Amino acid sequence: MPMSRRSGPSRGGAAGPPPARLIRSRRRHRQAVLGPFRAPGPALPPLRSCTGIILGADRHRLVLQSGTDEIRLELTPDTRVWYGGRTGLEALRPGREAIVRPRDDGPGVDRIWVDITRVTGTILSRGQDAIEVDAGPHRAHTQVLLPRQALERVLVRHPQLEPGHLIDVIGTRSPDGTLAARPGTAQPWHPAATVQAAGPLHGTATWSDLGHRRGAAYPAVDPEGDSGGCPDARAGCVALPYLSLGHDLIVRNSCTERAAAVPVVQCGCVAARFCDRCVECGTSPRGRLVELSPADYADLGGDLDTGCFNVTLEVSR
Amino acid sequence: MIEIVSGAQVLFLTAVLLTACAAKLVVREEPAPAGDEWLLKLRRNRRLAVAVALAEGGLGLALLVSAHPAVRIAVAAWFAAATWVVGELLNRRPDAGCGCFGGLSTARVGRRGLLRAAGCTVAAIASLHASGDGLAIAAGAPAMTGLLVATELALLVMLSPELGALLDRYRAIVPCEARPSPLAETYQTLHASSDWREHRSALRSTEPVDVWREGCWRLLAYPARIGDEELEIVFAVSTEQRHRAVRVALVESETEDSGPTPFRPVLA
Repeated sequence: MPMSRRSGPSRGGAAGPPPARLIRSRRRHRQAVLGPFRAPGPALPPLRSCTGIILGADRHRLVLQSGTDEIRLELTPDTRVWYGGRTGLEALRPGREAIVRPRDDGPGVDRIWVDITRVTGTILSRGQDAIEVDAGPHRAHTQVLLPRQALERVLVRHPQLEPGHLIDVIGTRSPDGTLAARPGTAQPWHPAATVQAAGPLHGTATWSDLGHRRGAAYPAVDPEGDSGGCPDARAGCVALPYLSLGHDLIVRNSCTERAAAVPVVQCGCVAARFCDRCVECGTSPRGRLVELSPADYADLGGDLDTGCFNVTLEVSR
Repeated sequence: MIEIVSGAQVLFLTAVLLTACAAKLVVREEPAPAGDEWLLKLRRNRRLAVAVALAEGGLGLALLVSAHPAVRIAVAAWFAAATWVVGELLNRRPDAGCGCFGGLSTARVGRRGLLRAAGCTVAAIASLHASGDGLAIAAGAPAMTGLLVATELALLVMLSPELGALLDRYRAIVPCEARPSPLAETYQTLHASSDWREHRSALRSTEPVDVWREGCWRLLAYPARIGDEELEIVFAVSTEQRHRAVRVALVESETEDSGPTPFRPVLA
């Protein structure tokens, strides 16, 4: 299964993704002066998810437009589809965006997430059935629509949907904003200003749209020089090593034992403020260590609608 | 009374000189401050720093075992010279720290530091009237002498930023990879390094084309030319709180046709 789009071509820094040339150059320079990257421990390889716009679908086949490529994917009776919740093949309508994860035990598609999106940030205002969210300096303000059924589910995890509080919801794209489906975190809410200590390099991995490119948002991008960090970012929940855009993180899903090298393409200053845990397989230490792109998240065996997995992060010191 | 005051100065100066000697030998200055001022050039010389420390230790011991006027005069001259040095630093490079107590004296030089050095000079002049060596004074000293020495030492500590620096060394130290490191600190370390001096002439610009952080290291890439060859010189400066290291590598300039980003291979 082919990979979906890589990082975009625009200039690196806090305002945009690092260009491929910058990533390549930093890898060369780093290796020259500090030596080769430390070899990671054994792990299962990532799956090869792909992302694209649905061109058509029937019971046996899904056709996606991924960049300039047209991809045909085999559906099986076990293929599961998510569109605001578990649904059937009728959700695979042309024009919608799909993230597709292959089976790990043979040909065919395991999971399809249709028009899935996630909003993580600080609540700016709340209306009758919608809230305005500040998703951080790298992402635009977003409106989250809260239908009654979703509101009840979100309130279980986010009992105070008031301005100044953090929110994390998973939903589907709509012309008016994100249509919330469920909370993105399985833990009680924490106020935005709370910073708690946590053990380093073991914690939670979540996902974010990252502007439709692969890679990761990392909470501790150095604010100095050309590293790409946010100069006014608050101290994070976890004392992580300072890194830069283009650095390769070795991300290991502790639940599936799959690992992959994922480049940092964005400062994860919003993720840094969440001191929650993931309980996918055991209870992780507090703190979000990395926000992966949806495709990278699915590659490592994560379920996008679940919202997190326990992670071990390896970085060069 | 004059004898008590003079005797107390001998003990006070002995304590100061031996402490300064020990601090200079044990807590090495790093990084050596950058700059072309001759004072700073001297401070970058570790052998000279050791020699200064041994001289201070020798004077302190001499005060203990000898009542010869030459020793007292040498001590007075030493502190007078130190006062002048601190005054020069205050005027020219207050950011460099005085180095009076080795690596503990990294705080910006201020008037308190100048007052401290001047006070020691005054004490050294007052000690000229003391009779007997330091050991004899200590053995037969009345309580008033001890009280005076303690008071002077307390005043010295109040004027000294070194105590805070010493306490900081024993507090929890942030690991280098998670330690915020300002760019100014990186440049100071780099510009004071032998690697920088060795390669500076090859740089086409003293402004780096890229500065970024990799855990315990901050990397700086400079365009360079050696002969007819266009190169990039990459410096790596550690972000340790102390004993920061500098590494350097010469890298061929990247060509436009280097191909797409080679994503790291999947782990097996």
